[in-house]
Amino acid sequence: MEVALFATCLTDTFYPRVGQAVVRLLRHFGCRVCFPDGQTCCGQPAYNSGFHAEAAALLHRMTRVFAPYACVVTPSASCAAMVKHHGPPLLADNPPAHEAALRLADKTWEFNTFLRDQLNVDVAGLLRFEEPVTFHYPCHARELYSPADLQGWLRGNGHDVRTPVHADLCCGFGGVFAVEFPEVSGAMLDDKLTELAATGATLVICNEAACALQMMGGARRRGLPLRFKHLAECLAESLGLLEPAA
Amino acid sequence: MNPTSGLRARLAEAHRDQRVVDAVHLATWRKVEARADAMAGLRHYAALRDRAAQIRQHTLDHLPQYLEQFVERATALGATVHFAANADAACATVCDIAVSRGLKLAVKSKSMTTEEVHLNDALLAAGVRVVETDLGEFIVQIDRDRPSHIITPIIHKDRRQVARAMARELGCPYTEDPAEMTRIARQHLRDIFRRCDLGITGANFAVAETGTLCLVTNEGNGRMTVTRPRVHVALVGIEKIIPRLIDLPVILKLLARSSTGQPLGAYTTLITGPRREGDVDGPEELHIVLLDNGRSRILSGPFREVLRCVRCGACLNACPVYRNVGGHAYNSVYPGPIGSVLSPLLYGRPAEELPRASSLCGLCYQVCPVKIDIPRLLVQLRTATRARQPRGKRLLMRAWAWAMDRPWLYRLAQRLMRRLLPDDGTGWINRDNHLFRRPLRAWTAQRDLLRPPPQSFRELWKGGLGDER
Amino acid sequence: MSAESHPAPARPGAAALSPLRDFLQRLRRETYRAGPHVPLPASPTHLLREVAPAENLVSRFQTSAAMVGCRVHRVRRDEWLATVRGILRERSARTVLVEPHAETALTAERAAQLSEALEAEGVATSAQCVDESLFAADASVTGVISALAETGTLVCVSSAASARGASLIPPVHIALVSSSQLVADLFDFFERLGAWAELPANVNLITGPSKTADIEGVLVTGVHGPGEVHIVLTAD
Ligand code: SF4
Repeated sequence: MEVALFATCLTDTFYPRVGQAVVRLLRHFGCRVCFPDGQTCCGQPAYNSGFHAEAAALLHRMTRVFAPYACVVTPSASCAAMVKHHGPPLLADNPPAHEAALRLADKTWEFNTFLRDQLNVDVAGLLRFEEPVTFHYPCHARELYSPADLQGWLRGNGHDVRTPVHADLCCGFGGVFAVEFPEVSGAMLDDKLTELAATGATLVICNEAACALQMMGGARRRGLPLRFKHLAECLAESLGLLEPAA
Repeated sequence: MNPTSGLRARLAEAHRDQRVVDAVHLATWRKVEARADAMAGLRHYAALRDRAAQIRQHTLDHLPQYLEQFVERATALGATVHFAANADAACATVCDIAVSRGLKLAVKSKSMTTEEVHLNDALLAAGVRVVETDLGEFIVQIDRDRPSHIITPIIHKDRRQVARAMARELGCPYTEDPAEMTRIARQHLRDIFRRCDLGITGANFAVAETGTLCLVTNEGNGRMTVTRPRVHVALVGIEKIIPRLIDLPVILKLLARSSTGQPLGAYTTLITGPRREGDVDGPEELHIVLLDNGRSRILSGPFREVLRCVRCGACLNACPVYRNVGGHAYNSVYPGPIGSVLSPLLYGRPAEELPRASSLCGLCYQVCPVKIDIPRLLVQLRTATRARQPRGKRLLMRAWAWAMDRPWLYRLAQRLMRRLLPDDGTGWINRDNHLFRRPLRAWTAQRDLLRPPPQSFRELWKGGLGDER
Repeated sequence: MSAESHPAPARPGAAALSPLRDFLQRLRRETYRAGPHVPLPASPTHLLREVAPAENLVSRFQTSAAMVGCRVHRVRRDEWLATVRGILRERSARTVLVEPHAETALTAERAAQLSEALEAEGVATSAQCVDESLFAADASVTGVISALAETGTLVCVSSAASARGASLIPPVHIALVSSSQLVADLFDFFERLGAWAELPANVNLITGPSKTADIEGVLVTGVHGPGEVHIVLTAD
């Protein structure tokens, strides 16, 4: 199967290792991976801030970049949700573009659900953790998979998976919100990190670059011994496709 | 406090009040868990929620005829139905009812519509004493405070604050025991209930088919209010209608569970007309004041769905922003997620910043018993005010979108960022080492900033990853 | 805000209604241009109900009522009187309101029996729900018109025989319920209610004692309504 990788701007810039893991995993499970070089951003920050003309233009551009491919995979839940759910209505008054957006929505997959539903990979069976893990459930994954799904992927091989008290608590990022209302965003971050730290686990699975930026930076500032990894990184490490991170 | 500007400062200030933040954390978490347990015990939660949303939306989509039916039925039963186009008219109508009948002492059951129109002030000015009888509202009233939650008005207060207010205002012995404080309030209000001549309530629902008002309460003050006084006035938003009696249980099954985790409120009271001939007790007159106050405008726009709200408060309890700032920071009768949608629609400009104060985490939608897609509505409201966003932000957003439309510029920006961001070898930027204090401060005040690693993903790809096998 | 700013009519009838008529007309014209009315599809209540009609209603009711804080006394038919007296004695009730109602388990005959027994013990009873007796009563004893197994709810209505205040004002409420009065689900109850020729002016669904958690979330019972609700449940 040929798969076009939609890396997303944050993963591209801040978390290249996640992209690397995704590429190697997809290849490992038999996919041919392409990376259309013209890709940038799906327009989510503009959409969330109410700049919908700008968001529509960027989404339209996405449809052109990915037009040649039958299948698009992205490691980011929020970008997948943007492309699949929030994006298409933005182009409603331009029928051909809208059509294209709906096609893109249809063929775009969030990485974990792609492994599960398209490649039938038993993630839980393949993962190896050497330590207790906890997880962050990205709010924007809600339309794609549930916290229970995420737990299911982690649980297996007798892993010690520690569920935070409120598994679906937001990390406080929220895009522009994080810098427009930094005090509130920071307070939400405190709540989140407190719950994560209280699990006693030191490794946090976080399948969302934006949340990771917020929580890693927050944990570092607060001196909390929490490390964050995308599930793809853990799976790639378990399969020997990626050197374990330092 | 300036209501038109400085939302960020207002929220930040609210968050600094540790006592409030602690109280709200405690109470909201408790309610979140109670709600979750209650829903988990409900056999057909998802189907009920779908149906409740359908009933509410259907009613809004056909409101005129249901309103008409309600008015017809209620009038036939002997109620007097009034219409108030706005807050002033509502106050004037109620004051007129009171003054023309020489009513002097009003008891009030908790009602958001009366808060919305500031009825107490108007009645006071007209020479009618109004006593709030819901325990929380009573404490708010004697402490000259404002409610901070639509269900739990004193969610921001701890027991010491309540105790001080009661000792000071009622002259009772100081006690911090909630049971004892409740007993004191009961005694105090019993005396009022004996003497009152006007009862004021809102209504949770108004049933078109039967002309019935439905009132859901826990303390019994609502029942007292519609039992003791000679005259009962209900101020009811026009959106509170539901079509038939049989539609009520669908919503009742969800309402109290959403609010407090109870299967039903302690008292669900159905009021169909005033006291009947021969009835032992009850009000001789029932006045129903139907309130528009901006609702018809909302009905005609793209935000109609927000009027499905049954005011259960679940979205407030679930909201991580509300939890960290409390209700006063919203500067509106309606705080929290539903308030962030409703307030700008009702009050316009002074509240128009509220929709931005959300991370769009979606928990409000998740818990809403009538499936109001609050995050989507918040985003939609943000589009409405983009022209009035700070100039810098607008420019930045446009420049960013322009650059993102040009991959070469995007790549250049990526590289520039790596070059320009300070590098002390740790891979991080924190408060101390970055050069651009101002633009990055909003981020680095709360968290360190990860420095982009030396190679972006696309560089890794070009540098060999793309050709790997 | 000014109370004088709007000359709203307060008289019943057309004067009060005309602004409403205007409003509805305008609403129709400006917002609801849409054509024919699509009725709300019927509730698929069989898919939504919590309690199946075939369930054991007595035990379900007992559990639900206890869960919301009622004290349920499940007794034989001939034990009701002793049970009620026992509850009142334990609370040292001095004045008790006994409110008979023909359509409930507390018939005039039973009420007379109870009053007599109480008076014999020196307890003052009254059937008159006038103000002072209500506020002075230590407890009230009433029947109900229905009880809901799903939620442990008692239903009391206003009428010439039953006061709104009877189940509300005294600090202890004792309700006589016979098992034949149990309905399974809220849906069943509202269906029955819908079949009434005319609804009573006041229908109360009472689910547990009066309660609040306004102060620091601490649950306190007996705010304005009764702090204790006893259900004397007899089989028949
Ligand atoms: S918006 Fe929904 S959750 Fe919030 S108060 Fe209204 S009904 Fe409840």
